Parts: sequence; structure tokens; C-alpha cells
Amino acid sequence: MSNNRQSRIRHHRMVVFSLLSLLLLTLVLPLIPYAVADLGESAGKVVNPGADLWREVRQRDRSVIGTTRVKGVDSGVLINVYGEDWRQFRMQRLIPYGAALMGIVLSVILLYYLVRGPLRLQGGPSGKKIQRFTVFERTTHWFTVSVFWLLALTGLILLYGRFVLIPLLGPDGFGLTASACKEAHNLFGPMFLVAILMLFVTFVKDNFYARGDMTWLIKGGGLLGGGHVSAGRFNAGEKIWFWIAVLGGIVLCVSGLILDFAVFGQGREVMELSHVLHGIVALIVITVSFGHIYLGTAGVEGTIGSMTTGYVDEAWAKSHHDRWYAEVKAAAVDDSETEPAGGGSASTGVASPTRDG
Amino acid sequence: MARMKFLCDAERCIECNACVTACKNENNVPWGVNRRRVVTINDGSPGERSMSVACMHCSDAPCAAVCPVDCFYFTDDGVVLHDKDVCIGCGYCFYACPFGAPQFPQDGAFGQRGKMDKCTFCAGGPEADNSPEERTKYGSNRLAEGKLPLCAEMCATKALLAGDGDTVSDIFRERVTWRGSAGMSWGWGVAYGKGGLRKGRAIEGKATGGE
Repeated sequence: MSNNRQSRIRHHRMVVFSLLSLLLLTLVLPLIPYAVADLGESAGKVVNPGADLWREVRQRDRSVIGTTRVKGVDSGVLINVYGEDWRQFRMQRLIPYGAALMGIVLSVILLYYLVRGPLRLQGGPSGKKIQRFTVFERTTHWFTVSVFWLLALTGLILLYGRFVLIPLLGPDGFGLTASACKEAHNLFGPMFLVAILMLFVTFVKDNFYARGDMTWLIKGGGLLGGGHVSAGRFNAGEKIWFWIAVLGGIVLCVSGLILDFAVFGQGREVMELSHVLHGIVALIVITVSFGHIYLGTAGVEGTIGSMTTGYVDEAWAKSHHDRWYAEVKAAAVDDSETEPAGGGSASTGVASPTRDG
Repeated sequence: MARMKFLCDAERCIECNACVTACKNENNVPWGVNRRRVVTINDGSPGERSMSVACMHCSDAPCAAVCPVDCFYFTDDGVVLHDKDVCIGCGYCFYACPFGAPQFPQDGAFGQRGKMDKCTFCAGGPEADNSPEERTKYGSNRLAEGKLPLCAEMCATKALLAGDGDTVSDIFRERVTWRGSAGMSWGWGVAYGKGGLRKGRAIEGKATGGE
């Protein structure tokens, strides 16, 4: 009996022991190759310095700069990662968003013109003329206009010609056009700096913030209805346009000169950044100029004369720039009091061009 | 159809600049323009690596994408070429290219950019193959003669490989398998160890088979 029982216990022990051994081996055996590999060749642990190097070459902080026998700007840079950013900006942002911006603004202006029509002179012209811009002021204005539109058109052709003009002119024809545009843009670009500085010097004194500008802005310049808003020689809208033109023009000139004269060793990153600024600011200034052109020509009756002959109707002055009109009248009265025989304003029926005291 | 590719094996390039010289000579590249250059990283320090770089003939080429006159085109072999009659020398391809491949000769006053010049994979331009016009504008057209680019043909250590992408990658894969990768492919033991790494491990035969 006892013998039989003992053998049964031993049998149980053997089964449990075998199962435990099997379990242990199942867990440990697959680990043996790892242990062997770990004790083996040390070369396997050494990292190839090339691996980190090629990773660093593609980083943005440009911690690794190479050397090369080949002379040239950026020639030691193996990979310029900013090029792809610039490509995405130009193709995915600047070109479509710029077209949308200009298209929307032009459509809004056209719609406004069709719905509301031009702003008529209330009560009709008085027949009496008053000088608004001197010959020098008009020259400055039209000089800036000429240079600006030469550059704007050539620039727009270079930006959109690939999509708009190649189907019309063919690749060779457009190549010639684009080449002429690029040469003109680069040649007349520096002239824009002269124009902008002249514009600034000529018109800056009447374009500082004055009382009443905020009221004008809040009332939307009377464009949205509610009649005319009191204004000086330039209203708040014209002042904002002046500062957009001058400050935008300076950004355009500086970035343009960086792009134009590629001989001072400026690298690709500087040029890419300049191009981004140049593109954004140019499209903004061009878009705002649409509004300026509309208001100066078809939008407001009697305005165009101020920049062609230099004279506007007194009724126009009274309704659009009442405070300026009052100033001119007061100055004319002063002149006629001090110099009764001089002037000529009285005899020709034209007010003196004198402005602000 | 074959798709042409360059590959520079940085473990082999010794910065001898023979590829640069061969390219300049073969293609009559204008003064101030180098279609190919060798860039050395960590020059003079342990772990120094050199790499020969030129136009990599990208599938989605940034230069072609940004060109305002659309003067780039792709050959059936996947080579990126451009038409110098259409090019206006604006420099946009140089801004966009990650490899700095497009080059510009200085043209006239104020250092204006002339028409862009870059590696053609020794495949010329849009003119008739090996015509004098093509040679003047773009240099040699070795591909039309059934030859590969001279830079790669000249390479003394066969670091620079050029040709059908499949063949090039086969050669490189065989090399990597043969010499090992990462830590096993460099260092004193590999270069000067007794019998080299492979003999010590009794590895024999070609890695990719065939023969």
C-alpha cells in the first residue's frame, strides 16, 4: 500500500517538475541568440558617423556646413531645405491667393459700380474752378503711376504668365515676352525708389492724422450711404492709401534691390525671404490701387480733373473736402487783403493754390 | 523605360574632384559655372565624408514647378532638361532646388543672371542630337551616343554611379551587403584588419547572386 502511494507521489512530482522545466526553457531558449550576439563582435555596436552626418545635413538649423573647391554662393551647402518651403509658398499660396484677392476686389468694385453707380456731384458743377494739385505734384503722381504700373504689369506677367499667356503665345513667344518683362522689371525697379521718395516728400505734409479722420473712417467715408463726411485736403482713406503706397513701396524697393543685384554674396535664404515679402506686398499694393483708381476716375464724378488739369470744381471741393476748401478760401482772402493788385486769382476766377498756413 | 539616376557612395568618394573637371571639360561649361561640385563635410576631422553633387534629376522637380516660363522638360529616361531659348535667367530654379544645381553665368552689367546652366546628365538639350547648336548651348550629348555621363565614367573609386536607377541600386545594394552597413562598413578593422571583416566571418560569394 505505502509503496504504491509513494510511487504515485513521485510520479506527480516528476510531472510538475517536467512541466515547470518546459515552461522555463520555452521562456529562456529564444533569448540565447541575443545573449550570444551581445557577447560577440563589438563592431556591431559602433555607429557609423555617416548616419548622423546625413541626418544633420538635412536639418534646418544648418549646423553642418561643408567645404568645397567650387567657388560660389552657398556652394558648401549640400541640401537647402528652405527651397521647398519657398516653392510651396509661391505655387500653393502666393499665386492662387493673390489671384483670388485681386479677382474678389475687382468684382466687388464692379458690382458696386453697377449697383450704386458713380457718386454724382450734388447740385451739379458750380462752374468755378479751384486748383487742387500743382504741376510738380501731378508730375510726381504720374511718374509714380508710370513706374508702378510698368513694374506691376511686368511682375504680374512673370507671376501669372505661365498659366495665362503660354496657352496664347506658345512657349517660345512667351519666353521672349517674359525675358523682356524681366529685363524691364530689373532695369526700372530701382527707379521706383526715386518715385516713392518723391511721392513721400511731396505729399507727406497733408497725410498725417488729423481730427475728423476717425469719424470719416467710422462712417466708411460715406461710401456706404449716409452722405458726405467732413474731410481736409486728404480724407482718411486717401491717407491710408498714401501710407500703404509709401511703406509698401519701401519694402518693395529694399527686397527688390536684394533680388535685383545678386552680386553681393547674398544667399538663397535671404533671396527666398525677399521674394516672399516682395510678392505679398506687391499684390496688396496692386489690389489697394484698384480702389484708388476707381475712386479717382469712374467712382466719383469730377475727381479726375484734379490729376489731369490740376483743377476741380468748387462744388466738388465743398462736398468732398469741405475743410480744405475753407482753408483755401481763407488763404485766398488773406492774399487778396495783403496784395490787392497781385495774384490773378480774382481776375481768372480761380482760387490761389496756397494751402495750409 | 530606364529611369536615369545619379548615386554618390559617400564611403568611397575621396574628394579628388575629377568628376567636376571631367564635366567642365566635356561640356565646355562657361567660366564661373560648375555643373557639379564635391562637398566635404567635417573636412579634416574624424568621420569626414565627401559627396559629389549635381542635378539629381528629380521626379517631382522643384525647378520645373516654379519656372515662370515653364522651360523644363523630362526626357523618356527621366532626365530633367531645360530650353535655353525660353529661359529668362530669373533664378527661381536656384531658389527652389535643394541641391544648388542651377547655375548662372554673369551676363552684362550689374552681374545680371544669364541663361541658366545645369547638369544635363550628358543628354544635351532640345536641339537635334549632337548638333553644333546643341553642343554650344548644352555641351555633350553622350546619352545619344549610348554612353553614360562622363563624371561617373571617370570616377576612379567608382563612388559616383550613373545610369538606369535599377542597375545603380543593384550595384549599391550589392556593395552594402558585401561590406556591411552602419558600424561594420567603416573603421580601422574594416580597412586594415587581418583578412578584413568578411574573411573573418567566412562570408563568400556574391551578395546578390547571379554572376
